[in-house]
Amino acid sequence: MSEPLVKMRGITKRFGGVTALIDVDLEAYAGEVLAIVGDNGAGKSTLIKILTGVYQPTEGEMFLDGLKVAFSSHADAIDMGIDAVYQTLALADHLDPAANMFLGNELTRTVLGMTFLDNKRMRSETERVLMERLGVRLKSLDAPTESLSGGQRQAVAIARAVYHEGLRVLVMDEPTAALGPQETARTLKLIQTLKAQGLAVILISHSLDDVFEVSDRIHVQRRGQRVGVVETASSNTQEVLGLIVGAEEAA
Amino acid sequence: MNTTTQTRTTTERLEPYIAIIGPMVMILAILLFMGVAEPARYFRATNLNLILLDAALYMPMAMAMTFVITQRGIDLSIGSIAALSGIMMAFLIKQYGFSVYVAVPIALLLGALMGLINGLIITRFNVPDLIGTLAMDLVYRGLALVLAKGLVLARFPDFLTDIGRGQIPGFVPIPVLIGIATMIAGYVLLTRTYFGRYTIAIGSNPEAAELTGIAVKRHKVYAYVLCGACAALGGILLTGKLNAIQATSAPYFNLHVIAAVVVGGTSLFGGRASMLGSFAGVLLLSMMINALVTLRIEFFWQSVASGVVIVSSVALYTWMQKKDRDGAGGWLAGLKTPDGQKMMRFSAALIGLLIALLALGGLFAGTTNPSG
Repeated sequence: MSEPLVKMRGITKRFGGVTALIDVDLEAYAGEVLAIVGDNGAGKSTLIKILTGVYQPTEGEMFLDGLKVAFSSHADAIDMGIDAVYQTLALADHLDPAANMFLGNELTRTVLGMTFLDNKRMRSETERVLMERLGVRLKSLDAPTESLSGGQRQAVAIARAVYHEGLRVLVMDEPTAALGPQETARTLKLIQTLKAQGLAVILISHSLDDVFEVSDRIHVQRRGQRVGVVETASSNTQEVLGLIVGAEEAA
Repeated sequence: MNTTTQTRTTTERLEPYIAIIGPMVMILAILLFMGVAEPARYFRATNLNLILLDAALYMPMAMAMTFVITQRGIDLSIGSIAALSGIMMAFLIKQYGFSVYVAVPIALLLGALMGLINGLIITRFNVPDLIGTLAMDLVYRGLALVLAKGLVLARFPDFLTDIGRGQIPGFVPIPVLIGIATMIAGYVLLTRTYFGRYTIAIGSNPEAAELTGIAVKRHKVYAYVLCGACAALGGILLTGKLNAIQATSAPYFNLHVIAAVVVGGTSLFGGRASMLGSFAGVLLLSMMINALVTLRIEFFWQSVASGVVIVSSVALYTWMQKKDRDGAGGWLAGLKTPDGQKMMRFSAALIGLLIALLALGGLFAGTTNPSG
């Protein structure tokens, strides 16, 4: 395999006396879905928060495309092309999808020296990005986001991340946790679409069914350590479950 | 099947305008009622002028309050800000001989400054908005009383009375133009600028707003500054309208304006703003008060009527908002549930006790002793 797009080496994170991560390595390749699984408190969230610049590691280093990087904030990570879609989606439900997609990053035009939001262009751009990148068409772009289904809301949140042209790594935190079977299938299809576009997708999920359906490799965390990385194609639920709960160690 | 999809699309199409329907229905009801009860005096041009003149006073404040409430805030200090900035402007003109063209902008800036203080108290000292602005209401009112003592400052230059009650011949009064201009500016601000967009985002989902990099606290302060400046504008309009100002002026501005905004469909829980609704709400309250005057109902009933209108339009609005009305089985069905039964028994006991005590008092009543 070629050089990984993202490489994390020896990441350790301590919160006061609590060690959340101990010497964790992670590799993610472009055009690949890497799933991170593990029990509650295994350090999944901490690991991706370090990757997305929300937390800074106590020890260890990160490489993006072979270059050493260090993020002091989430905005730094976004600038370098690493963004995340959170479980809560971070959408403002009363705003329409276009307003949400450009929230904090609005398109503007200048009229008589004053800056106004360009709602028309934001709307057409939203339609374009949803269609071209995600293959999603919303029935109405005027309705507030709260009237959309779970999967459509997810699509808007993902569209916000992929609108950034330089996006190379997309982290998705429990994208299917609150979705029904149909919406889950649709979201998994979105993940495949993004992968086909050459993004490195890092998926955090509790649902092994989803993980086995969509991922290429599975990174298993347990008690703050990486206990294994398996190729999805040559593994099975039993093996991964065993790694998660540490059965093989005990046996 | 076809009909259900049809109705659904109609409700969907109505969705953005649902806020305006509540006050519109109430306005229509008032128009119909007055059309039957007192058409000749209510629909006179001079009376319509009076209604607009009254409404104009509240328009700027309702516009600003829409932003504050949309951000999940509230500002209870606008009445006092209006009085205090009006008093200060009056002193500058009367006592220090300031030109009115300088004093009016100074008053606006003073109002903005008071709003800034409100905003900083809420965002920097983390005082809840309800307590913070209630306390500052006392502070500003107290300062106005300290400054003016019991004085009524009156007789101002023409410019002030012009913007307060000037009439464009054959057209509407000047303050109405000012009021409508602020509402239009508010609409543009709400829908076409960063400030408006972030206001809705903050009220809708503060965590998401923070996550997307919006300066939540700064935009909250902006809303309070706007509210302060608009309250000062209200104070200026009031001073001009009455050609007089005193420390106790504008006593119930805060509740009147909040009522107008809430009646207009802006949600107290944040995120849902309707500038058009606020405009309709202001008109509705002014029309109702005017109707009471036209009907020669005792002045003291006004506050009763205001309260009833506010409760009924907000109830109507939340009822329209409710998506799932099927299966509820009418609004009396709730009484049949065990919890409804308990509430019934509790209410019956309370009212029964009251009646019993009244009867007891009536039975053993002695001779009356008039207090006068």
